Amino acid sequence: MMDGMSSSVIPRKRRDPVLIGLWISLVLVALIWLAPVVFILFTSLKSESEIFSSAAFALPSDFQWSNFSVAWAKGNFNQTFVNSSVITVIKVPLGLLISAMAAYALAQIPTGWNKLLLVFVLFGAMIPFQVMLAPLFTLVNSMGLIDTYPGIILPYLAFGVPYQVFILHGFFRAVPKELTEAALIDGASHFTIFRRIFLPVSLPVLSALLILDFVATWNEFAMALVLLQDKNMWNLPLGLMSYQGQFSNNYGQLNAAIVMTVLPATIVYLIFQRYFVSGLTSGAVKG
Amino acid sequence: MATVEIADLRKSFGAFPVVHGVSMGFKDGEFIILVGPSGCGKSTLLRMIAGLEDVTSGTISIGGRVVNALSPKERNIAMVFQNYALYPQMTVAQNLGFSLELSKMPKPEIEAKIKESAEILGLTPLLDRKPSQLSGGQRQRVAMGRAIVRDPEVFLFDEPLSNLDANLRVKMRAEIKALHQRLGSTIVYVTHDQVEAMTMADRIVVLRSGKVEQIGTPMDLFDNPKNMFVAGFLGSPAMNFLTGRLAADGSAALVLGNGERVALARRPPAAGDSDVVLGVRPQDISPDPENGTAATVKVIEPTGTETHVLVELAGQEITCVLGARLDINPGDEIRLSFATPAAHFFDAKTEARLETGSTKHEG
Repeated sequence: MMDGMSSSVIPRKRRDPVLIGLWISLVLVALIWLAPVVFILFTSLKSESEIFSSAAFALPSDFQWSNFSVAWAKGNFNQTFVNSSVITVIKVPLGLLISAMAAYALAQIPTGWNKLLLVFVLFGAMIPFQVMLAPLFTLVNSMGLIDTYPGIILPYLAFGVPYQVFILHGFFRAVPKELTEAALIDGASHFTIFRRIFLPVSLPVLSALLILDFVATWNEFAMALVLLQDKNMWNLPLGLMSYQGQFSNNYGQLNAAIVMTVLPATIVYLIFQRYFVSGLTSGAVKG
Repeated sequence: MATVEIADLRKSFGAFPVVHGVSMGFKDGEFIILVGPSGCGKSTLLRMIAGLEDVTSGTISIGGRVVNALSPKERNIAMVFQNYALYPQMTVAQNLGFSLELSKMPKPEIEAKIKESAEILGLTPLLDRKPSQLSGGQRQRVAMGRAIVRDPEVFLFDEPLSNLDANLRVKMRAEIKALHQRLGSTIVYVTHDQVEAMTMADRIVVLRSGKVEQIGTPMDLFDNPKNMFVAGFLGSPAMNFLTGRLAADGSAALVLGNGERVALARRPPAAGDSDVVLGVRPQDISPDPENGTAATVKVIEPTGTETHVLVELAGQEITCVLGARLDINPGDEIRLSFATPAAHFFDAKTEARLETGSTKHEG
C-alpha cells in the first residue's frame, strides 16, 4: 500500500529561477526587436486613412498591396534594386573567397613573415572608415571610378577583408597542422588542401560571415553616399533615403519601400541562419 | 621499398641547433625505431625525411636518390601521425582514396586498392563512416590504411600509438609488426616508449639532444649499451646505477661512499682515478642472505608474476625484481647480491662503458 502510494507520487521538478529569468528577458528582447518589424509590415499594407484611424499594431483590415507597386515605381526601385544586387552578389562571395584564401595562407603556409603580414592586414580593421571617407573619395575619383560598380566594390572589399581574415585565420589556425601535412604527403597542392579540406571544414564559419557581410553590404549607406553620386547608380539605402525625403507624407508606401529594402537580407539570413548559429560556436568543430 | 641514407644531417631552428650532424643508413625492408626522450630531435629527424622540415645541412637519400630538394609528395613516402590527421569531412573510403585520386588513378583501380587495404586492416565494415564516428584504434587503422594504399617506398610513423590507451597500444603494436612482416617495407618509426622500440624494431637508433647515442638491434643495445644513457633508457624497470670506487686491494668489489663493499662477479678495467658506476638491471639482482650487501626496503610493488622492490643502499635508490611472493615489509633489511656476470661498468665522469666485450644475460 505504502509502496504503491510513493511510486505514484512523482516529486515536482524544481524550476531553476535563473533559467526562468533568462527566458523572460529573452522574450522581452525578442518583443522589442520584433515590434518595429511588425509595425512596418502592418503599416506597409494599410491605406492612408487606416494608418491614422487604427492602432499602430492592429492588423490591416484591407490589404493595400498597391502600396508596394506604387513605391517600387516612384522610388526608382527598378534601378536601385539592380544596383544593390550587383554590388552585393559580386562583393560578398568575392570578398569571402579572398579572405579565406588569405587566412589559409597566413595560418597554414609558413613563410617566416606570417605574423607581420597578419598584423599588416589587421591594421585595415583598426582604422574607422569614416576617417578615410574623404581620402577615399579623392582616391576613387583620381582613378575615374566614381559612379561605377568597381568604384564601390573595391573599397567594400578593402574594408571587409581584414575582419574576415581575422576571424577565418583564428579558425584555420585551430585546424591541426598535421592535417595539412598529411594532405601534402598525399600529394595535394596548397590550393587543393584549401578547397578540399579547409573549405568543407569551415562551411559554418563561412556561412556566418556570408550572412553578416550580406546584411552589412546590402545596408551600407555612408560609403555609397560618397562614392555613388549619379542617381542611376544608387543602391537601395540611398534610394530609400531619397524616397523618404520626397514622399514622407505617405506612410503606407514609405513602409512598403522599407519592407522591400529589408526583405532580401532577411531571406538570406533565414536561409543561412542554421549555419550561422553553429558558425558562432565554431570552436567546437573538430579538426 | 627502398634504403634510406642520412649523411651528416643538421637542423637548426633559427640559431638554435636541434639535430647535430647525424649519419645513419637503413636497409631495404628494415623496421627502424628512433627513440629518445622528448626534445631529442627524433620527430624533427622524421619530419626532415618526410620533407615537412627543411634540412639545414647534410643529405637524405631514399632509394639512392637525394631527396633534400624534393617536396613531400615527390619522395614517395607515407606518414602516420600521432593524432591520425584524418580528413574530418571525408568518409573512411574517401580518406583512403584521397592520395590515389590526386595522382589521377582511374576510379576502378582506386576502388580495388581501397578494398584491398581495408581488408588488410579490417576496415571493410567502416568504409562509409566519418572519422568522428570511429574509435581511437579504428582511426589509427584508417591512418595506416591511408599509408598502405599508396605503396610507398618508406613508411614513416610519428608516435602513432601515444594517443591510445594501454591495452589498445599493446594490440596495435602487434598489428603494426604483423603489417611490416606482411608488406616487407622499410619503416621508420619514432617513439619515446622504449618498450615499443624493444618489441618492434629490427634496429633501434637511440638519440639524445640531437645526437646519435647508439644504433643496433634491440638485444645488442640491451646487452651491450655504449654508455649509461643507452643502458638506462632501454629495459623496464630501468637499469640501476651504483657509484663507488674499485676496491684498493685489487679484489672484485666496489666500495660505496659509506664504506660498504659490494661484491662483483669480475673486476672491470680501472677508469683512471675517477669513480666507477656499476650498472645492474633489476632482474639481475638476487637476494643473498649470507654474502649480500645490506639494503633497506622502502616500497614493495607486487605485479602478480613478480615483485618490484625499491630499496635504499648507501643513500642510493635501487629497484630490484624479485620472486612473485616475498615475505618482506617496508623497513625490513634484506641482503642483495650484485655479483652478476650481466653487470656493466661505466666511467662516472664520461658515462662511457668501461668494457667493450659482450656480456651475456643468463635468464
